[in-house]
Amino acid sequence: MTEAPVIATPGPAPAPGPRRGARWLAVLLVATIAVGGYLWVTTVRWQHNAAQWEQKARAYAEEVASLRMQLDAAGTELQAARDQLRTATARITDLANEKAQLGDENVASQQVLDYQTQVSAAAGTVASALGQCVSGQEQLVGYLKEADQYRADDLRRYEDEVNALCDEAEQANEALQQELRP
Amino acid sequence: MRRPGRALLALGLAVGLPAGALSGCGVLPPLPEPVPSDIVPTAPPVALSPAAGGDALSPDGFDAVERMAVRIRNVGCEELSTGSGFAIDDHTLITNKHVVADSRDLEVSTYDGHDIQVGATATAALADLAVVRTTDPLPSYPELAETDPGPGDPVTVVGYPAGGELTVTEGQVMGSTRDPLNANLGEVLLTDAPVEPGSSGSAALDDKGRVIGVVYAKTADDNSLLVPLSTLQDMLADDTAFTPAKGC
Repeated sequence: MTEAPVIATPGPAPAPGPRRGARWLAVLLVATIAVGGYLWVTTVRWQHNAAQWEQKARAYAEEVASLRMQLDAAGTELQAARDQLRTATARITDLANEKAQLGDENVASQQVLDYQTQVSAAAGTVASALGQCVSGQEQLVGYLKEADQYRADDLRRYEDEVNALCDEAEQANEALQQELRP
Repeated sequence: MRRPGRALLALGLAVGLPAGALSGCGVLPPLPEPVPSDIVPTAPPVALSPAAGGDALSPDGFDAVERMAVRIRNVGCEELSTGSGFAIDDHTLITNKHVVADSRDLEVSTYDGHDIQVGATATAALADLAVVRTTDPLPSYPELAETDPGPGDPVTVVGYPAGGELTVTEGQVMGSTRDPLNANLGEVLLTDAPVEPGSSGSAALDDKGRVIGVVYAKTADDNSLLVPLSTLQDMLADDTAFTPAKGC
């Protein structure tokens, strides 16, 4: 038996419409699923990331709050220290001034004391001179009572010496009185 | 016959390209970077500056202008007087000639009451100025300004008016004038900074704390007279300007 030759006659090309559209639809579906998957993964990652940042932010916020409290406390202490320093410096200035005034008074008192010592010494000298004057005059009076026993020029010379002594004592006394006069 | 390679390629392109391309183009958000373990900067963010209200640092809370002022007690043979002065280096004081005149002993004390031992004293013939050398070191001293001040410039006077507390007064330079006391060669400065007897020898400072003059007198209308900085500098530069002071 002889097989009849098969003659393939080219038939009409398959219609591209429905099958090709289905293929592109499938591709689009897969792409959409892929993009959706990517977005889902991205969202999850960002959520996780955001949670970590929030946790970190809250930790730093607590640290900031703690540091603010420490800063406030330190600021208060610093202000108190400044106030104390201001008080201390004012006190030091007062004490330095008190010391200076006491020093001035001490020096002034010493000068008054020195002056009084000098005046006292001068008064003593004047008193002594006046005493010598009086003694000389008493002596002169005694000599004059017995004038016939002495030479006249000796008596005159003694009288001059007594007068000079008394004049000096009188001048010293006058100077002292003038010095003591207010 | 259908070729499976083409379908796979299309699938791959369909899966890979959209996400990658759209993400790369910025249409889709990128994946986040991992959160760093520590975000605290290692370097200080800004240069630290003094806290508000903080003044220049001082070893004991006193200003530099107070630390360089001294009180001078002139113990004469018969009377006592006080004046002011200021340091210009570790062992040198500037004051007025009339503050140290007719002295048997000079006693110098600082802002905090410390006594300073005094050495030689020299006075100027042509200005009411004197230089006092100290054997003890002085706590602080200011710079000298570069030029004399002009009218309107601020002036600060630091001294011991009436021999009392250390006092800081402020005013302005009014101008220069002939010395009404004829104690200084050339012109002197007139300011409205308040001074009193005892302020003589005080340093007059500019707004930067530099010396611009030395107080030496007060006028009848309560202004103050200064030996200007230029005169002070001329005298200090002249070796023959100061001669040893004569005591009483």
